[in-house]
Amino acid sequence: MPELDDIIHQPLRLRIMAALNALPATTGLEFVKLKKLTGATDGNLGAHIETLAKAGYVAVEKAFVGKKPQTTVTATAAGRGAFARHVATLQEIIAASARQP
Amino acid sequence: MIDSKQAVEALTEINQIARRVRQSTIYNLASLMLIMWGVLVFAGHLVVHILPRNALLIWLAVTVLGIAGSFAISASTRARTGVRTFDARFLMAFLLFLGFGYLWTLGLGHFTARQMDTFWPLYFMLVYTIAGLWFGLAFVAIGLGVTALTLIGYFFIGDWFHLWMAVVNGGGMIVGGLWMRRN
Repeated sequence: MPELDDIIHQPLRLRIMAALNALPATTGLEFVKLKKLTGATDGNLGAHIETLAKAGYVAVEKAFVGKKPQTTVTATAAGRGAFARHVATLQEIIAASARQP
Repeated sequence: MIDSKQAVEALTEINQIARRVRQSTIYNLASLMLIMWGVLVFAGHLVVHILPRNALLIWLAVTVLGIAGSFAISASTRARTGVRTFDARFLMAFLLFLGFGYLWTLGLGHFTARQMDTFWPLYFMLVYTIAGLWFGLAFVAIGLGVTALTLIGYFFIGDWFHLWMAVVNGGGMIVGGLWMRRN
């Protein structure tokens, strides 16, 4: 059975990847919105986004809208692939358990 | 490795987040539409209050501007998020919806001006309320709230009906749209 992706499996990172994967490819979420959707704190969310970015699973874009800084996070193709494999593994675990007598 | 119970929990979490993202996208678009239509309806009622004889023409202008605005908002949303919304199929559904309304109000029902001005908000809010059963309680709250205020206007507000409707119908949609954006 394939292994779960340790980077994605952490609960908050799983929520981040789930949120980004629910959007069309190349579409990202603003940091503030991601924070609201995942229920994370600023520092916690920032740290986990950094971990995902280091793994190449998300791309982080910083820009200024007027005078306000805006951070947008987007799932990369590698991130989408890893997430799809992670979900498939979870489904496989459930299916394997159902097959056991 | 995790067990199947934990795997189910993880998949449930993923589905819940995905549902929240979809709802957020729908709320974002619907709120913009609601605010735009609210402004148009607010202006429409004010102008009809001043020029009641031109009501049909005014509401036709409001409808055309509303459809054009809906396309503009949809195009801007699509460019930003990639989500297609107000497309040709939606326009067709909207025109059928309008056609059914006009068939009854003008063709078969011979509604009075006041009945017409009450019927249309109730008709739109019925759709809003039904849509809310799938898309979120905010739609239901806005739909039922505006419906109740419209009926109060029809039965209890005399000559100031259009000003009342400008506030509760147009204003209600604007406030509802802003509330959706906040939530």
